[in-house]
Amino acid sequence: MSVAGYRIRLRRRTTLPGWEAALISILAVVVGLVLFSLIFVLAGVDPVAAYKNIFSYAYTNKYGLTLTLNRFVFLAFATLAFIVPYRAGLWNIGMTGQLYMGTLAAYAVVYAMGGKTSPKVPLNPYVVIPLMVMAAAAGGGLMGAIPGFLKGKLNVNEIVTTMMLNFVAFWWVAQMIKEGGPFMNPQGRGESFVLPYAAYAPVITSLGVPFTLILALVLAIGLDFVFARTKIGYQIRAFGRNPLAARYAGIDPFRIAVLVFVVGGAMAGLAGYHYFAAVPGVYKIARNYSYFGDLAFYGIICGLISQGSAIAALPVALLFGGLSVGGRFMQGKFHMKFGVDYALLGVLMITLVAFQFFYRYEVTLEKEEESLHVAVHR
Amino acid sequence: MAAAEVREAPVQEEIQEWLADVEPGEVILEVRGITKRFPGVLANDHIDLQLRAGEIHAILGENGAGKTTLMSILFGLLQPDSGEIYIRGRKVQFRSPLDAINMGIGMVHQHRKLVPAHTVIENILLGHPRAGKVLNVRRAEEEVKALAEKYGFNIDLRARVWQLSEGEKQAVEILKVLYRGAKILILDEPTTALTPVEAERLLESVVAMARSGLGVVPFITHKLPVVLAVSDRVTVLRQGRVVARLETKDATERLLAEKMVGREVLFHIEKPNVEPGRIVLQVEGLSTLNDKGVEALKDVSFTIREGEIFGIAGVSGNGQRELAEVLAGLRKPTSGRVIFDGQDITHAPILERWQMGIGYIPAERVDMGSIGDFSLVENVLLNFYFDNAVVQHGIVDFDRVRQLTRELIVEFGVSTPGMDVEAKTLSGGNLQKLILARVMARRPKLLIAALPTQGLDIGATEFVRKKLLEAKQHRAAILLISEDLDEVMMLSDWIAPMYEGRIMGIIPADQARREDIGAMMAGLPVEEKAQ
Repeated sequence: MSVAGYRIRLRRRTTLPGWEAALISILAVVVGLVLFSLIFVLAGVDPVAAYKNIFSYAYTNKYGLTLTLNRFVFLAFATLAFIVPYRAGLWNIGMTGQLYMGTLAAYAVVYAMGGKTSPKVPLNPYVVIPLMVMAAAAGGGLMGAIPGFLKGKLNVNEIVTTMMLNFVAFWWVAQMIKEGGPFMNPQGRGESFVLPYAAYAPVITSLGVPFTLILALVLAIGLDFVFARTKIGYQIRAFGRNPLAARYAGIDPFRIAVLVFVVGGAMAGLAGYHYFAAVPGVYKIARNYSYFGDLAFYGIICGLISQGSAIAALPVALLFGGLSVGGRFMQGKFHMKFGVDYALLGVLMITLVAFQFFYRYEVTLEKEEESLHVAVHR
Repeated sequence: MAAAEVREAPVQEEIQEWLADVEPGEVILEVRGITKRFPGVLANDHIDLQLRAGEIHAILGENGAGKTTLMSILFGLLQPDSGEIYIRGRKVQFRSPLDAINMGIGMVHQHRKLVPAHTVIENILLGHPRAGKVLNVRRAEEEVKALAEKYGFNIDLRARVWQLSEGEKQAVEILKVLYRGAKILILDEPTTALTPVEAERLLESVVAMARSGLGVVPFITHKLPVVLAVSDRVTVLRQGRVVARLETKDATERLLAEKMVGREVLFHIEKPNVEPGRIVLQVEGLSTLNDKGVEALKDVSFTIREGEIFGIAGVSGNGQRELAEVLAGLRKPTSGRVIFDGQDITHAPILERWQMGIGYIPAERVDMGSIGDFSLVENVLLNFYFDNAVVQHGIVDFDRVRQLTRELIVEFGVSTPGMDVEAKTLSGGNLQKLILARVMARRPKLLIAALPTQGLDIGATEFVRKKLLEAKQHRAAILLISEDLDEVMMLSDWIAPMYEGRIMGIIPADQARREDIGAMMAGLPVEEKAQ
């Protein structure tokens, strides 16, 4: 393409410094917001006021910020669930099912200890809470083990299996919490029993966010360290970039496939624990649990945008968490139609993914050479 | 699509007309001062070139000499930073391969670009401007057949491409560009994947094409005799510059090699005399299947001792790959035993074999031997991540790996801007040096080297061979698998020609006769001499 004597050229990048990747992502967000302001204009809402409301509610309002941070932690776990298999070149689309199973496992601990009978059941929090966390990780991990095993042993496509298992887990939750299910709320209502006080997770009171925030941050940092510096991290990455070369070097493909899906599933299980068992004011598997199952899919986007880096995924998760909260708030305040928050996230997702083009290519301007092009100028 | 054709077709016809009356001996293509710079390298530095119609003008150069860049510029895949291209004295600019094709340039790639499931004629018509409108296959068939006969290509136009041999596929590619009206034919490493007979036949056709008035430019890295046999003129590139421009009748193989490499080249390497030691590898009645489930290795038995090179000679696809993979643990045998260092390792996992002292240099450097997206450091780690010298408590000591990589790069002369660049930026020869360095740094007791010099230029080939002999001197047992009979004869102590999965005989190198081995490689029985 050429404009006014200059040619616009695309060059394949050989390297991409971290700050440039960050800059490209920020640019993508800005472009996404500008594009979306068209929707506001069409709906007769001042885009500047709309964005002001979205961001101030999501990040400065006390209630909004608490909601944002809780969603951020949830998304962070969902992102880690995607990233671990992604580093091995495998796609986990099953964080939803894995988080459901993690949640059920955590509730099973309370149920087994008799915690369903009354909110005042005297349980030892130092026993029940760690057990719940471990059970959630184990439940998610087991759910992940299925696609991992099938992939490693029989080379069954993991995208298909993880996706299908989401439906299995969805109905399993329904089975457990709805009429006649063991976790059914005594009053029915299509939701689970409420956790006893003793099982309430410790909360960072100034933020209104449970300890899982710290857990998510530590795990993100830890995972990036594992991938960068350890033997097992190297093996996973080698397998992800060239499975044949990894096999040549003696890396066992079966072991890698099972491992990454178990660890990824465990991360998703923690997302389930966080939202349904630790966030203040929830403490139950609510009727609309599938909303959070769907939200978990944003983990895929966060992981892709950060190119598989757990730490770099955190700001993206914080952005998506905040916009989902702020978008819903703004929608109510300006009496806009239902779904503005979804649409906003969707547009940002598209621009962020589209801008990944610039991760691979850079655009340069060059002065046009004055030579003939015989095929045109005869 | 349709709109583009309307604009293009008349232009192309006009150019065809303009190119129709090219006289033999006339300068059809001229390149002046072509310069192309990539980050860190000057790939082409003021290259001048004149191609006459009716002439075969070989471009010689090692990997990294700038051949690929020049070829890409001539075909419109890359645009030069400066310099001009003229066709029949008219300055042209190729913005894309389509421009180059329309200007009568035909390119035959080393890696075939055909649709395997389609027939020959379908492949030839694919992308042809006339094929976009009413397709008269019968007429096209007749025209292509005439073209094939004219240049001596014997090919069934209704056959499906996957059924063809490499030589036949190449003929299809050539017919395809000729049928599009190419006047200038660019051939990338034309004889590389061909058997000797196929190569000979191809060269005959190439000569016929030149005699009929086409300009032919083969780009060649090795196989210098090929160049001397057919070309009229040779241009030698080194480090992006033209270092020699001569008529073939004035050239000798040695002179060309020296120009390419920039120093004197040893065509013969002296084999060190190493007293063979105890048996390292013992293979007994080994059989296995290939990827298609067909028996590819049939009842193979041999032994290799310390300090011995055991050379498997044969055309690829006769079970050599399967043999190497069974020994490396990548493929399961269906019967037979493998004994290494007195231990039965027939079913040992791959990692265990590395730890026991088996090193494998695979023929598939890019697909199996390296990880393109990884740095050189992380590629070296591929054979060391399980080594306690480099990993403690599960943590990789990257300082140690970097130190090792630095040493290997220096010792093996890997030419690279640094060790943090991705392996995919290395040329074939440098990548092979890195793999060789990494495997040899483990000091393996058994070294399996599959096609270790395939596709390498003269300098790198010489280097790899020297290193294999060095390993022999360090008393390694070496299994050398090669298609190059000269290489096998030059390096091995024992020569085992392989044909259709069987070893046709095991001959001590000092008693080996070229004709016998050649015949055995082709499956003809020759009186065996026991090991």
